[in-house]
Amino acid sequence: MQLTAFSKIVATMAVTLWAFLLPAPVLAGLLLLEVLMLFSAKPERSSALALASLLLFAGLMVGLQLLFSDDVVTAFLGGLRMMVMTTSFLCMFATTRIQDITQALVEKFRLPREYAFMLTAALRFIPDFLADSKATLDAQSCRGYSNSGNPIRRCLACLAVVKPLVLRAIVRSETLALSLELKGFGGQAHQTLVLQPLHVADYAFLLLLTLVTAGGAVLRFA
Amino acid sequence: MINVEQVDFCYKRNQKALNQVSLTIAPGEFIALVGRNGSGKTTLSRVMMALLQPTAGRVLVDGESLKGKKPSDVAGTVGYVFQNPDLQILAETVAEEVAYGPAAKGVAPEEVKRRVHRALELTGLAELADAYPRTLSYGQKRRLAVAAALALKPRVLILDEITGGQDAIEKEAVLSVLKRLNEEQGVTIILITHDMSTVLRYAGRAIVMAQGSVAFDGAPQALFAGSHPLAEWGLSCPAVAAVAGALLPGEAAPADAAALCQVLIEKMRRNGSCN
Repeated sequence: MQLTAFSKIVATMAVTLWAFLLPAPVLAGLLLLEVLMLFSAKPERSSALALASLLLFAGLMVGLQLLFSDDVVTAFLGGLRMMVMTTSFLCMFATTRIQDITQALVEKFRLPREYAFMLTAALRFIPDFLADSKATLDAQSCRGYSNSGNPIRRCLACLAVVKPLVLRAIVRSETLALSLELKGFGGQAHQTLVLQPLHVADYAFLLLLTLVTAGGAVLRFA
Repeated sequence: MINVEQVDFCYKRNQKALNQVSLTIAPGEFIALVGRNGSGKTTLSRVMMALLQPTAGRVLVDGESLKGKKPSDVAGTVGYVFQNPDLQILAETVAEEVAYGPAAKGVAPEEVKRRVHRALELTGLAELADAYPRTLSYGQKRRLAVAAALALKPRVLILDEITGGQDAIEKEAVLSVLKRLNEEQGVTIILITHDMSTVLRYAGRAIVMAQGSVAFDGAPQALFAGSHPLAEWGLSCPAVAAVAGALLPGEAAPADAAALCQVLIEKMRRNGSCN
């Protein structure tokens, strides 16, 4: 039986908390488990790319900490915590439909529908934005755009890609807003929600999350 | 000019988007690249522009292989106009937009000005040189994209479905620009399109792609003569070709309705049934 979006959101929040409660070896194991879960749910190149980007940011964070402090262990622990927290979000997005996340936020977390939709609309925007950036880069390359030379030259050259992208993102968001309004979004009338009831597996999973969190808290503070 | 030699391309493993494609494109040709969605038209055009590198085979432009080259390296010889002109508009005026390409390639400012002027004249946008590009109509934006490509003085222009979503007047304006470029400037045109009447009217050669391979390569009149499985290739016979096929069996279809009328009147005159 599949877990509902609510359980997965709670799990993501719990993992964020665990990142600060559990010791480093347990966190490393948890990260390994998350990576395995991600690739079994979505065995695609995009998963590897997303993970590689997170690793890059974690590396940057560790590098910065090493630069400004002598504590190597804290620096690496910070990077590990960041990886554990962000990978849990990747796992959630790889296994849950955006519509289900929106609905769980409204139904279970009592978030106003407008805000929940805004949050998930931003998430939906990412693949479109990536596709647009690839198409714009291709279009400008065909006109002689080349990202080479010294860093200042490169930054200036990037404007040829960034400017059309930003303008297109604005146009796209305007279109989205208009189409939402035409569909009656934001109206005061009663809105129908297809409820997502929790199953036995959800209750068992939530209990497990509570126990691990409590155990982590005891380990950390006792 | 462009030689495509036994090119394969795969987006995913074991899923060939191009399968052993070979063709030669000579200078000054007006080619229509047609076929159903997903047949490999755009992939082939992207391989010719170095936007994609073939997984097997090679592409030569003026005898030089495109292996390892970037689109910006090829841009001076081959121009590419994308379906959506909004993806590339970045400047505040039409003239600045056209100037971006040659300026990025390091062309001298005086020469850039000359090229911009010429490109705008050729595309009929000279009067809009100071206009804000995003306020142009869709057809004008497409002509602007053509002008931007022309400013790099390419000898081949690849246009990916640039006539879609336009009214008849705007479509005609874009196509007549292409015809003029081809006839007066000798620019080789490769037009990817789903509009078969455009193929019949403007192209001198039609290449049909089907399942990643070249299914037909020849004159558009021969394509619409009735002996090819057009429906299987996702194509339709233009009305002029269908009428010509019924009235003038065995003869090549005229380019458009006016030409068909002329042929019919001539035939009737010869037969003595019309004065």
